[in-house]
Amino acid sequence: MPAMDSLIDLLTRRGAALLAWLRGWRRLGRFGATAIVEALTPATYNSATRSVVQKQIYFTAWQILPGFTLFAAVLSYVLIQIVVDTARDYGLAQHALEMSVRILVLEILPLLTALFVGLRSGAAINTEVALMIVHNEMKALEETGVDPMRFEFIPRVIGGVISVVALTAVASALALVLAYVAVYGFQFFSLPEFNRVVGNVFDPPAIALLWAKVFAFGLAVTVIPISEGLAAPADKLFFVPISVLRGMVRLFFVLMLVEVISLALKYI
Amino acid sequence: MADDAARRTAIAAAHDADISLISDELPLRANLSVLENIAIVPQYRENLAYEVAADQAWALLVRLGRTDCAFKRDPDLTSEERFVAKLLRAVIRAPSIIIIDRPALLLPDCHYPPRVQATLDALDDKINECWIVDYPWNEPLYAPR
Repeated sequence: MPAMDSLIDLLTRRGAALLAWLRGWRRLGRFGATAIVEALTPATYNSATRSVVQKQIYFTAWQILPGFTLFAAVLSYVLIQIVVDTARDYGLAQHALEMSVRILVLEILPLLTALFVGLRSGAAINTEVALMIVHNEMKALEETGVDPMRFEFIPRVIGGVISVVALTAVASALALVLAYVAVYGFQFFSLPEFNRVVGNVFDPPAIALLWAKVFAFGLAVTVIPISEGLAAPADKLFFVPISVLRGMVRLFFVLMLVEVISLALKYI
Repeated sequence: MADDAARRTAIAAAHDADISLISDELPLRANLSVLENIAIVPQYRENLAYEVAADQAWALLVRLGRTDCAFKRDPDLTSEERFVAKLLRAVIRAPSIIIIDRPALLLPDCHYPPRVQATLDALDDKINECWIVDYPWNEPLYAPR
């Protein structure tokens, strides 16, 4: 029965691939939970871990701040102009500011920041962790009495979350200023009107959802690359690109999932 | 002196928290300099400020006359510099026993027994006990005991 054999073979391979995929998610969930618990444990924070957090924030947020700010400003200004012009064309000019703020500050900028950090720092973290495993550096650290989880990984997660939150805040503040200028021009007399519209957009549930979303993005851009890097087998250098590829695909999927869930919670 | 099975048994004890193992299979942290690799141990374990931990690491490098490699990273090190960095990373922790696993792998380009001994002598007051695990066929290389 060669046809039956090949069917069994196909199903076996598919089943094994599915189990490996599910194991990856389980590993990710476990590492994410451990990272949150460790981050909330005061004993995690000592001189060494604080310095890794500082370095992570420097490389993830501070180093890219000028370029990222410029990019966010240009993109925000273009999108605000499109929204304002389109709203005017349809006679909805009074809603232009609210639409701009909703689109940019609540949706596009947090996602864009997470993608930016994920592609830049997430890929680097994934590669570094995979190389650490391949070259046995984790075991070497353990031998010297340094816990790699607390020294190498948790500070990266903390630094990554802080970086995503900080960059999103900078980009959002800039977008609000640009939206004001695009709608009202260079004058201060419309500030009360602007404040009223922004206050309507940022009601407590919207703020809570935005915080939760940005926090989830921050966790995703570090937890997923680290978790995938940790899954690399020791002494198998060829596996590093595969690990990064898997990490980036999983990261993209999770970022989109978080965005879709936040949209569903807000608008459905 | 030990065959491979005996060697593995001997170094298995190194997983004890109070024993430090120096081995070709336990590399330095690649993104840290030699100084940082040594300093990170007291900085993490004793919660010392980096400057204090780095001073301790620097003092050990001075003692061995190896400050020239303090700011190099692993790929830029000679095998001798790498050995010194690994040894000092173990010494700064002040374990009760230091095990050097197959020094020939750590110092492949020199007559290593006298070199290892000279380095250990320079750190005599910092090392409580040191075991060198090597193969029986390398026994003639060591000074008679």
